[in-house]
Amino acid sequence: MIPWPIKNKFLTPGVFILIIIALNGLAFLSIRFVSGIGAVTNLDNVTPWGLWIGVDVAAGVALAAGGFTSAALGHIFHREDYNVIVRPALLTAMLGYTFVAFAVFSDIGRFYYIWHPLIMWNGNSALFEVGICVMIYMTVLYIEFLPIVTERFIGRVDLPEFLSFLNKPVDNLLRYLDNRLSLTMFIFIIAGVVLSTLHQSSLGTLMVIAGQKMHPLWQTPVLPLLFLLSAISVGFPMVMFESLIASRSFKLKPEMKILSRLGSMVAPIIGVYLAVKLGDLFIRETFKYIFILDTTAWMFIAEMGLMIIAFILFLSKKITSSPLGLFTASTFVIAGVLLNRFNNFVIAYNPFFNPTKYYPSFGEISVTLGCIALLVLVYRTIVMIFPVISQERTDLNKKIVEFYNSKNGR
Amino acid sequence: MKNLNRRDFLKSTALGVSAVALGATSVKGADKTLSEDRIGILVDTAVCIGCRNCEWACRVAHDMPTKELESYSDNSVFKEYRRPDKTALTVVNQFENEKNPLLPVYVKNQCMHCERPACVSACIVGALTKQADGSVIWDDDKCIGCRYCMVACQFQIPSYDYDKSIDPHIRKCDLCFERRKKEKLPACVNICPNEALLFGKRSEIIQIAKNRIKRKPDEYIDHIYGEFEIGGTSWMYIAGKNFEKLKMPPLGNNPAPGISESIQHGIFAYFVPPVALYALLGTVMWITRRRNGENDEENILKPHDEKGENK
Amino acid sequence: MMMKKVYFLYIPLILIICIAGSNLLPKGLTKKFDADKGNFSKENQNNNLTHVESDFTNQTLTCKSCHETEYPTKNDPGLRKCPRFDMISKFPTFNKGPEVVDIKEMSDKYTDVVFSHKIHSQMSEMSIGCTDCHHYNTTGPVLNCRECHEQNRSREDVSVPDLKAAFHRQCMGCHKQWSHDNGCSTQCHSNKGTDVKNRDRQEMLDKKHPKVTEPTKMIWETNSAAGKIVTFFHNEHNQLFKINCNTCHKQENCTKCHDVNNPKDDKNPIGIKKSFEDHHKPCMNCHNENACEKCHKEKEMTPFNHSSSAGWTLKNYHSRLACEKCHGNSMPFKKLDNNCTSCHKNFAPGKFDHKLAGLTLSENHKEMECENCHLKNDFSKPPDCKTCHDDKSFPAQSPGKR
Repeated sequence: MIPWPIKNKFLTPGVFILIIIALNGLAFLSIRFVSGIGAVTNLDNVTPWGLWIGVDVAAGVALAAGGFTSAALGHIFHREDYNVIVRPALLTAMLGYTFVAFAVFSDIGRFYYIWHPLIMWNGNSALFEVGICVMIYMTVLYIEFLPIVTERFIGRVDLPEFLSFLNKPVDNLLRYLDNRLSLTMFIFIIAGVVLSTLHQSSLGTLMVIAGQKMHPLWQTPVLPLLFLLSAISVGFPMVMFESLIASRSFKLKPEMKILSRLGSMVAPIIGVYLAVKLGDLFIRETFKYIFILDTTAWMFIAEMGLMIIAFILFLSKKITSSPLGLFTASTFVIAGVLLNRFNNFVIAYNPFFNPTKYYPSFGEISVTLGCIALLVLVYRTIVMIFPVISQERTDLNKKIVEFYNSKNGR
Repeated sequence: MKNLNRRDFLKSTALGVSAVALGATSVKGADKTLSEDRIGILVDTAVCIGCRNCEWACRVAHDMPTKELESYSDNSVFKEYRRPDKTALTVVNQFENEKNPLLPVYVKNQCMHCERPACVSACIVGALTKQADGSVIWDDDKCIGCRYCMVACQFQIPSYDYDKSIDPHIRKCDLCFERRKKEKLPACVNICPNEALLFGKRSEIIQIAKNRIKRKPDEYIDHIYGEFEIGGTSWMYIAGKNFEKLKMPPLGNNPAPGISESIQHGIFAYFVPPVALYALLGTVMWITRRRNGENDEENILKPHDEKGENK
Repeated sequence: MMMKKVYFLYIPLILIICIAGSNLLPKGLTKKFDADKGNFSKENQNNNLTHVESDFTNQTLTCKSCHETEYPTKNDPGLRKCPRFDMISKFPTFNKGPEVVDIKEMSDKYTDVVFSHKIHSQMSEMSIGCTDCHHYNTTGPVLNCRECHEQNRSREDVSVPDLKAAFHRQCMGCHKQWSHDNGCSTQCHSNKGTDVKNRDRQEMLDKKHPKVTEPTKMIWETNSAAGKIVTFFHNEHNQLFKINCNTCHKQENCTKCHDVNNPKDDKNPIGIKKSFEDHHKPCMNCHNENACEKCHKEKEMTPFNHSSSAGWTLKNYHSRLACEKCHGNSMPFKKLDNNCTSCHKNFAPGKFDHKLAGLTLSENHKEMECENCHLKNDFSKPPDCKTCHDDKSFPAQSPGKR
């Protein structure tokens, strides 16, 4: 089992659909950059934050949590057997955060001032903390990804002919980097985990300041803890989810041995999350709002239901040992956390002066879907270039031969 | 429903403060920079006649497009409840007067200039600042347009130019910062025919408001809205009926940024928690590495040692 | 030659003495310190107070009404900031004022604002009188607004409104129903150049309001099931119970009788439609009764009668007393019982000076027990001589000097 570039056809019907979705999203996004946020979104003075912050940013950060959870498992706790999932998770996190940054770039009104938080600090602001942590963590993720780049290209730097004189210096640079990084990587790995813990929780602090504008079912001072726990809960399911999709898409054998063991770790984490969440619900006696059974209450029930079902599914050995069961259970967790973030940032936001209720516009949804499609496409591209996904060595040998044959032939 | 919300919120406030006791110390002193003579403005709704001259003066003072003053006598605008937005930093709304249906109550709305402003606490780049004189000012050169101030503001005051891609502004009352630099009163205070807007030192204004309530107990309810609401505000209101009926949100007396800042400073108390976590993870990494002695650092990062083979 | 010049120096001195002397002389209204109440009460009313409705004789003025400091001196009187109604000690009469007042404060922008003083002062009779507007007057002449109200809005002491606000509030406080359609420049102010002033002035001079007389009693017919007739004795509340006009007539204006939304109502007030609460509030403010039949009767009520209401006839000394002497100053009046000792705490045997009852007891009777004459200690009825004296021993004269 070693990571190796996937050798499949890039263009498939599925990819084609993804490209269309991505282009549609980019089209709407260009309108946003020409005519302002109001031209694309349904945001107004009552609802300043909508789908883009709720899903693209908040849910995006949560779903990229696989990066730090698997890094902690693989590198900090030194469970080497899980290393097969570390690289895909790292890539997901790296791309996830890149797209989060991109979503923030599109959502903030003065996108050309996005660098301001670097030099203008406000330590009281939860958003500032999130912003700075995300920026540093993204850099850390790119540094963590560098060894994969060096591994792919050391000894194989093959620039186009007119730049071929650079082949040697670039190779030397890569070797130098590889050497330095291997000595200092542990610093970045720990930093990555610490930064993730910080900003995953601070993302929860964001909405605390909204005070009474936020529905009591969600508004609680333990929001940061809930956000952190739910992010950790969704970390492994996200890894399993994408691993299973990738193996299906690239027609590889799913890593069931590793994934099942990973799956058995998920239930306790979700259990802790649910315990804190329900405990908070009962201590603050906010469960009474559930019985109002309005839209808001139903959204809460849906969110909790998804997590509880996922918890039960992950408890069963039978489920965690079958690819379909694992996939289903993971989907429930992902949907639950996604809905939780959406609820926190959109549904729970319920201002006093509320002449309009916010519904995401077609443009907003298009951009969100477009971003996700683009992310999948970039992921597909990268795993085809860089050694990210581990494959069985027997397969690999054959593929390596094919790969080099084709390369030589070209 | 709203009341219940508030009670729960207060309850959770207590929970939160105890949960992050560490942060509690660092929250204090945020109002240290506030001057003793900071500004207070009293809106006496019993005196306001709803002439809307303040709306006109505000627009003129802020170089915003406006019709001529005479057109403001048109009271058909009162048919619907209005909120301040990018076209008007202040608006006057009409409410029914149960005591005398012929004489409605008028309430002017604008930024309240909180003593402990949530927007200032929230702003990612510190573009919103609380001045020593009490006003809350927005800085065009810093703002990145993230609209977190709008999420944070309990009065839903900041408004945003959604139709602009380049140089969109956050707009709200700035207590006529520019005018006051020239020793002038805020435009609305200056034009008010009845001096329903009373401008002075906050401490004196509160005293005057109390005297007015004491002198006419039939005319006013015994409540100065803004004296204590979310830690106090620069604009304060007295009225003859419950403020909730005048669409003034029922907020507790705890400052809006209180809990979030406690949590924030709790997580980052002198960077101790992050550094401690870092050290802890480092130790775990060291110990587990020793246990799996045969794997050195390089192997951990690159568990495959197949490069040579593959070449 | 030189001596003559020296005489001139005396002129200012004499002037000063005259002015000082004139201030020291009593001015119609003299005050006497009432040791019981601890405040000033007016004794002589030789000021020309023709305005009965605004009788402020019950107003309680204390040192603290005007002076903030504990020991005010001439140099440092420590006067309170405008206490408004607590401060009035001169009551101008409504018919003495000018017919029209021209307010020239905004003469650079608008023509003068013409204020029809006459009709306003006449109508003020309906409410608390001139003092509704002239709310701060000591013993001197009627003060101009600008004496207290500063012209500059940006000022040190903001507790008193500035001049612009003082003027506007004086008008708008009542005329809140100003027409939104017209704005400032046609209602009161006219832009300079338009010549509407003279016509307006004549119109104002011609305007009259029929005299509104103070009612003695008012009778309403209602639909109440408890009883159709409600009677209200205005004279009793005002004169007998000495209730201040502004206790009930608070902040009144034209809208009390005239429906401003109905222009036809101008001449003929048909009364404003009032809510149930508004109808009952004036009475319920003091009489917090829940029983409808207390006011709603089948027929007109009879005027107040102490013997039928309280079951105790006022005679002799008691009939001359003001209500509050026994029933206290606060409204509603304190209820009392028939026992003399409830009020006369010193009416104990041995201590009682019978002279207070209007009869000085003779030597023979002085030593007797009260019960001997006032059978069963019932002091409500005068004793009958026959209970002790039979026909033979019946004395020629009463048991003492009256």
